[in-house]
Order: sequence, then structure tokens, then C-alpha cells
Amino acid sequence: MSEVTATSTALSPRRMMLKQALRHRGLLFGGFIVVTIVLIAIFAPFLAPHDGYEQVLSRKLIPPVWFDSPKATWDHILGTDHLGRDYLSRLIYGARISLMIGFSAMLISGVIGTTLGVCAGYFGGKVDLVISFLITTRLSMPVVLVALAVVSLVGSSLTVVILVLGFLIWDRFAVVMRSATQQVRNLDFIASAEALGSSTPRILFVEVLPNVANHIIVIATLEMAHAILLEAALSFLGLGVQPPDPSWGLMIADAKGLMFFDGWLIAIPGTALFLLILAINLLGDGLRDVTAPENRG
Amino acid sequence: MKSVKTSVLFALFAMTALPAIADKSDDTLNWATDKEVAVVDPYFSVTRELIVMGQMGWDGLVLYNNETREFDPLLATSWKWDGNTAVEFKLREGVVFHDGSAFTADDVIYTVDFLVNEANGVPAKSIYNWMKKATKIDDLTVRIELNAPTATAFNYLSNEIMIMPEGHYDKASEGADGKKDFTTVTPNGTGPYKVSESKPGDFVKWEINDAYFEGGAKGTPQIGNVNFRTIAESNTQLAELLTGGLDWAWDVPQEQAIRLDESGKVTVTNEKTMRISYIAFDIDGSSNTDAFTNKLVRQAMAHAINREAIATELVGPASVVIHSACHPDQFGCTEDVTQYEYDPQKAKALLAEAGYPDGFEFDFYGYRQREFSEAVIGDLAAVGIRANLNWMQYRALLAEVHAGKTPINHMTWGSGSIPDVAAITSHFFKGGPDDPANDPLTAAAIERGDTSVDPAEREVAYAEALGIISEELYWLPMFTYTKYYAFSNDLNFVPTPDEIPRFYSASWK
Amino acid sequence: MLAYLFKRLISALLVALTVSAITFSMTFLTGDPAITLGGETATQEDLATIREFYGYDKPIPVQFFNWLGNAVQGDLGHSHYLNQPVATEIFTRLPTTMTLGFCALLFALVLAIPLGVVAAIRPNSLLDRIALGVAVVGQAMPSFWFALTMMLWFSINWGILPVSGTDTWAHFVMPSIALGYYITPGVMRLTRAGMLEVLQSDYIRTARAKGVSRFSLLFKHALRNAIIPVVSLAAVQFGFMLGGSIVIETIFAINGLGFLAWESIQRADLPMMQAIVLILSLFYIMLTYFADAMNAWLDPRIRVA
Repeated sequence: MSEVTATSTALSPRRMMLKQALRHRGLLFGGFIVVTIVLIAIFAPFLAPHDGYEQVLSRKLIPPVWFDSPKATWDHILGTDHLGRDYLSRLIYGARISLMIGFSAMLISGVIGTTLGVCAGYFGGKVDLVISFLITTRLSMPVVLVALAVVSLVGSSLTVVILVLGFLIWDRFAVVMRSATQQVRNLDFIASAEALGSSTPRILFVEVLPNVANHIIVIATLEMAHAILLEAALSFLGLGVQPPDPSWGLMIADAKGLMFFDGWLIAIPGTALFLLILAINLLGDGLRDVTAPENRG
Repeated sequence: MKSVKTSVLFALFAMTALPAIADKSDDTLNWATDKEVAVVDPYFSVTRELIVMGQMGWDGLVLYNNETREFDPLLATSWKWDGNTAVEFKLREGVVFHDGSAFTADDVIYTVDFLVNEANGVPAKSIYNWMKKATKIDDLTVRIELNAPTATAFNYLSNEIMIMPEGHYDKASEGADGKKDFTTVTPNGTGPYKVSESKPGDFVKWEINDAYFEGGAKGTPQIGNVNFRTIAESNTQLAELLTGGLDWAWDVPQEQAIRLDESGKVTVTNEKTMRISYIAFDIDGSSNTDAFTNKLVRQAMAHAINREAIATELVGPASVVIHSACHPDQFGCTEDVTQYEYDPQKAKALLAEAGYPDGFEFDFYGYRQREFSEAVIGDLAAVGIRANLNWMQYRALLAEVHAGKTPINHMTWGSGSIPDVAAITSHFFKGGPDDPANDPLTAAAIERGDTSVDPAEREVAYAEALGIISEELYWLPMFTYTKYYAFSNDLNFVPTPDEIPRFYSASWK
Repeated sequence: MLAYLFKRLISALLVALTVSAITFSMTFLTGDPAITLGGETATQEDLATIREFYGYDKPIPVQFFNWLGNAVQGDLGHSHYLNQPVATEIFTRLPTTMTLGFCALLFALVLAIPLGVVAAIRPNSLLDRIALGVAVVGQAMPSFWFALTMMLWFSINWGILPVSGTDTWAHFVMPSIALGYYITPGVMRLTRAGMLEVLQSDYIRTARAKGVSRFSLLFKHALRNAIIPVVSLAAVQFGFMLGGSIVIETIFAINGLGFLAWESIQRADLPMMQAIVLILSLFYIMLTYFADAMNAWLDPRIRVA
């Protein structure tokens, strides 16, 4: 616990947080990895040595270059999959799709959850009652099952998966935003804004949101990881992203069949996914430590 | 600390808790598939597993011999056709059901009557609705009348018409809707095995029928117990095979099969099946794409897909590329039709000629063995055709196909393992929701084949139909399916192309 | 406290009603449920029969109330695929999944609570970070990969555990670990947080001053208080695990509710799917209610609120 010295050279709360952030190892490590993966995803076309969709059946299942096998070649550093597609290229392009799913689902659920949570926290009373009720209802439904059922009945595609996930994982946003807003609600600056006659939307956007923004960011990172993992589970059961698109979840699911023999097929995208999820979690935890340590645990 | 002691004890316990691996040592064959078996009755559970179990617990009048391609006597010892629509069977003497009752003509009559009676609601009508009725001539002679000449009559009698004891389904208890629930009857047949224990959806255990008659086409069973279990996850099946918990599995994916073979821990074989893969086109433009109404486009597709590579690399060594809408082993099938070789350049030229120099985009529907469809899509992409894979469950996809909504559907057909073109070409090209073309010329030719009983005449008629189908490319026939079997090194087992594993013929080494 | 419990009960019932409405509406996701059930070779005649049997030809609100009314009486509908009452199948499989869930919970608690206690004793130390790491690491791996990897090592390579099925208790070891690992971090953190709070309380300081032994202090005094929120979290997580067991049950060939749900989805057995979602949701609601009640009973502050 560091002390804040009340001198005129004291740093603003924001600058203090930044300093703390830069010293938080988990946050730095997580942030670094996430940023790296995002950059890889953005620059995929320049980084990928081959076209991740090009299949040449005669060169299928070539092991990575460090294997002691006559087929291994530097032309395919990470080997090829069961349809002869370059694994490294698919991994790089897969970053795009996994990140996109995570990000989009997070965005949708974030908008839904934050709106509900802030409204519940700000307006209280009957609004809170109804929204809390909605949250409890959503929490009572088994997520994976419902997602599976919907996708199987409607048909799976990237859009459907993102929408389904987005509409299912907003609960943590709502819960956290609700309590954060409640805490902010009774502070002076809100009261004065109301007294000044500011319109409610204005208050919400200008006064409330910026003060709960740090919570949003923390939850956003965690739900992004959650969405990516859920997509992997859906792909395992055949109802996630559809081939030939290379999401990491799908690559893992496809590789599952040869797991006992060619373990590298699943280990490579699996490790990538693992690193990404870990990094996102560390980043989220770190942000929480720095901006709202009281919420820890 | 407390937790350390516990974990050591735990580990010790774990080592003693391995269940006894049942196999040759206690004369039990463990087999598994990924499907559940909820009902042990060959009529009320329309699954492959029950066709297999049907042959274990019951017998038909005859049995198809895959080598001689003829029908061998089983419960019937001889038969004679009386015209095209009636056949008289002499039945075997001295056969008993599992409950001890004697097998007579009454049981055959009861079975046929029960099936054709619509009120009983027996699913899969096509296996029995060719029969009109059965009459008793004497205790060991029965006459079955047909509704119309049916080329595949004996195939059904062999594979699907299992003889039930008289009054078998009368013992059914009432279901929730007040009607009799025929799935509640205890299994009772004449077959080489009988059910010793079963739990719906979980397992079915069969034990040898010591009183099984001698001299029939199924021979005498050797293995004492045959236990079935559901294992949905293929890796789990693999793990059980490798650790001896499972003695037999099929439908092993190619790569896994190859690796299993290399490990030497199990025996692996690749066998033909009657199933074929095909691509059906939307000929009349009822879907959201009318590209395939143009024959040039269909031809382009035929040249764009490297079927040979898919068959060799992905399916299995026993797989072959086919050019007709039938399986080469089926009676009436001929490969002497228009053939399209793999030629991507030609495909692009045809596309340009058809007005699609830059290719086009469309929805591609499939349901089975995703990597095959993926391979096809990859080939199409190479000539500029962008296919969006719509992966669905079979029933849902079939509904879409019937509604005419699929520009292309990549499907398979097993023909019920029947080695006759009537089981496939007639099903798909005589008009109706499964027919992509609804071409009267083709339908007429097929009809001639179906209603004749002269083999030569049938062959000519079917050849005409198949010729049209391949020339017009109503379908692009792809390749034959093969199946990988993996089983214990201690087991003598021979797979057959009809996909009905004969456990009653298996034995330990 | 009775008033509080009563209010919560009403709320729980309302949630249950809403959940059933949502579950019921799944019927119409594909447009015509009769086609989904009838499938392939269903003729118009077959479809009409299906519609009549399941009541799809009636107006929607009527259908809903019929369905609900039946469900309350224990009739969860008729499985089209299995041609039996849904309830029979579900209640045959439920004990298996409950056993699995219970074992998984046990594993999670046995792993997480000691870890949480240890982490709380030395907050922010290496031990604390390792404990957190162990917890977090398992969560970042897709569950099926984790489960299959365990199978590879424990069954295939070392041969100390059976691969699949439910014959002996040893069959439940890997599935329980795979399923339970996911709630370990949550339980661990909660234990840690609770312990931290309690350890700094006056109550503990007094006990320490009185000379109570370290061990007794930790477990008899501190943990007993810190465990309260953990127990209610555990109850709630149990419900969550019942719903999340699909993947694990599929991999380990465990014939429970999760696997039944997956099979029902594959064969589009709508009545079964709906019933399972409903049962699991109701279970969850019941458990949360129970957790709330227990919290209220143990923590007087909540009762008064």
C-alpha cells in the first residue's frame, strides 16, 4: 500500500494508476502478449508464408521442422494439416478470426450488459428490479447448452456464433456495472449535475460512464477470453466456426482426432489459444488491481 | 500434511481400481460405436447398430452371401417363385426361439402380418411394404405374396426382415399416449446370440445361444459374449482400443487408422462399402443460385474437382472414383457413361464460356465427413468458385434438399447395403423431392428396369437412365466409401462390404 | 427473515416462469417444429399427425400453458426420437450427472480451499502467486484438450486409470478433475479473500492473544467464518457444472444428462432438448435460492435488509 503525499507535486489519480500499471508484472506481460497477437493478426497477409486456405492433399500432415522426419521442411515451419494447408499461415490467420470473435462477442455483450447494468444502478427502484430479474434469468440458463441448441437449429456461421455468444455472456458486465454505478450514483458531482438540470442521457454519458470505465475495461478483457474459449467448445462439438476458416478453436477441434499420434497438431493452436487466454486474463486482472483493487477476489 | 497423505493413498487406490479388461481371456468381445442404442428391436430402431444386432439375435428366411452373390438358406431351406409376385418357402425344422418355443410357419405369418398392418406404425416402410400378405400352407411351408414385382425382395428378406415369434408384440405395455409401446417387449428371436443384459442408451450385452441350430448360413457362433457400448468420442474409442478396453470398432478415421496400424497394437483393415458420395445440383433453379441450371457450369465443376486425390488421400485405399449414379458393385450399374477427368484449366474455360470468367459464389451444403467437403471446396476455390460451407445435421439438410433450397448438396447414400441399382438410382431419379432433375425420359427408363424381372432387360434400361444422368450431370458421382475397421490382434474377423459385421462368424485366435 | 425468504421465493418462481417461456420459445427457432421432428421422409400426413400429437396446431399461448401445466405435473413431454416420455429418460440419467457434478465439486473444493488458505496466510508471496497460477492455468485450456491430455497420460501411457465408462469409482477420477478444475479459481479466490478479511478481524486477534494454536486458529476459527460465502458459491457452481458437463460426458462416455442433451441436439429431439434446459435451469434456480437462504441464516446482516 503506497501513501499518497498531499503536496502540490502529487500526481493525478490517472497518472498514479499509470505508474502502478507499469510496475505490475502481470499486466505488462499480459498486455505485451495481447498486443503482439493483435499485431500479428493485423499484419497477417505480410507475415504468413503461404495462403492458409490452399490445400494440396499430397503434402498433408507434414510435421513441424524440428521433428526428426524426412518430410519436415523449412518450407512449412509448423507443418501442414490434414488437408495439406500450411499450419503457420493458418495459425496467423486464425489469430484474426479468434480475436474477431472474441472482440465482437465482447462488444455486443458489453453494450447489452453495460446498458442494463448502468440503468439498473442509476435509476434504481423498479428499473433495478426488472433488470436484476433479467440478470438472474440469464444466469439460470445453461450457456453452452443453449448456445448449442440455438446454433444447431438455426445453422452455424461466423455471424450466428458471434451473435449467440454476444447475447449470452453479458451477465458479468451487467452485474459489475450495476454495482459500480450504484457506488458512483450518490457522489456529489452527480447530484450537482442533476441540480443543474442536465438531461439524463447527458449525465449518464458524461458523468457516469467515464467513472465506471475502468470496470468496463476489466470485464471486457475477461469476457473476450470467455467468448474465445466458448467458441473452441462449440467447434469441438462441430457447431462453431465453419471450415475452411481457421479459427484457433476450430484448428484445435480438427486436430483432436490425431491427438494421440501427432500431438503437435493440437499442441500448436492449443498453446497459442492458451497464451492468448492467459494473457487476456492477466491483463484483465492487472487492470483490476490497478484501477479497482477493492474488487479483487 | 493431511493432503499429502491423502494423495498418496489416492494414488495407491487408483492402481488397484482398474476394471478387469474383458477380452479373449474371458471370452468377451467388446464393441462400440458412437451411436446410442435405445431400443433392442430391429424394426423399431432404424439404425445400423440394430441391423447388426438384428442378425445377432434373430434370423431371416435367407442370408445374402457376399462372395457368391447369392442367397443362402437360413430359416428357409428352399424356395420357389410362382410367377413374379408370389414365392413359396419351405421352412427349417427343429429351430427354437430363445424362450424355448418352436419355430413354425405361424411365426412367419405373424411377422409379415404385423409389418404390413399400418396401424402398427412400423418405420422404414420400404423394407416391408412390397409384401402383400403371407399364407400358411402347412406348419413348415409359407407363401408370401408381393404387391408388385420387386427386384430387391430377397435383399430385404436377408438383411431386414427378422422373424419374430407369434404374438411377440402383443406383450407390449401401454405407452404414455395410451397406445401400445412396442419397444417395451423383451427381445426374443432364433438368432445365434441372445440378450443377457441391457440398459437403454448405455449398453447391450449378448451371450451365445447354445441351442442355435446347425447347418444354417450363419454357421455356429464361437465367441461366448458380445457386449456393445456407446462411445461417442472417437479418441476415446481409440484409447480403449489401445488399452484393451475395446476389442472392435469401425468408422475409424483414415489417419487414425493408419497410425493404429503402425503401432501394431491392433489389426486394421480397410473394406469397401456400398455407400457412395455424390454431389447433386439444383437443375431447375429453385435455390438462390441459378448458376447450376447451366450445363456448362456443371461440367466445369466436374472438371474442377480432383476426385482421385480425395479418394486416395482422404478416403482409403479401397475407395474408387465413380462416374455413374450407382455403386460399381450393384447389379445394373455401369461405368460406361460420360466421364469427366480432373482438368482445372478446362474448368476455367467452361466457366468463362458460361459467363462466369471470374467465378461466382454460392452456398454448399453438406453433412458428413467434413474434410471431404472441405477438400472439394478447396478445389473449387482454385478455379475461382467460392463456396460457403453450410454444415447441417442430416435431417435438417434433407428438409432443405426436399424444399429445393440447396444449390449444391454433397451427400451420401448407402442403398441399405443392397447390391442393386434399384436401391439408389430408382430412389433418386423417378421424380419426387429427392430427384434434382425430374426428367421424364430418365424416369421412364428406370421404371422399365424396376418392373422387369429379366436381368438383361433391366440392365439395358438402367444403362440408358445412367447414361442420361451422367451426360446431363444431374449428379456428379464422386467416389465409393470405405470403412476402416480396427480390432484386437486376438480376433479372427472378416469385414464384409454390406456393413453388417458378422460377429457370429468371428472367433479368437 | 421469513419475509426475506418469501420475497426471494416469489422472485425465484418468476425467474423460473421466464426461463420456461424462453425455453419453450426454442421450439419455434426453425419455423415449423413439426418438420424438425418429422425430418426426412415425413409426408404431409406424418406432419399432421405430429402436429396433432404435440399440439403444434394450437395457438402459441395455449401451447405454452399446456406445456407448463404438464411440466408441473411431471409430464415433460414425449421424446420423438426415443418414443418415450422425456421425464423417464431424464431421471434415469440424472443421478449419473449428479454423481459426476458432486465428485467434481469435491475435487474443486479439496484443491481450492487449501490453496486459498495457504495463499491467504502469505498474501502476495510467491506461494500466493503460484496458487493463483495453478488456478488460472487450467482455465485457459479448452476443456476437451485438458480431458484428452489426461486420458493420454493416465490411461494410455501410464495405464493407471480406465479410459471411459462409469463402472468403478476410478472411472470418475479424470472426468471429475476435468470438470471441477474450471471452478477451482473462483473458489480459491473467494476462500483467499474471505480468509484475508477474517484473519485481520478482532475475533482472530483475540483468539491469537489467548494462545490458540496456529492450526486451530486457521481451521477452526478463521476458515469456519470465511467458508460461508464459499459454500453458497459452491452450491451455485454445482448447478453450473450440471449444465457444463456436455463435453466431459461425451469424451468419457458417461451416460448422463449432458450427453443426452448433446444427442438430443444432434437428432433434433426438441421436446427432450427443452426439457433438459428447463430442468437444469430450475435446478440452478433452486440452488441459488438455497444459497441465498443459507447466507441469510448465517449472516444476520442480510436478513434485515
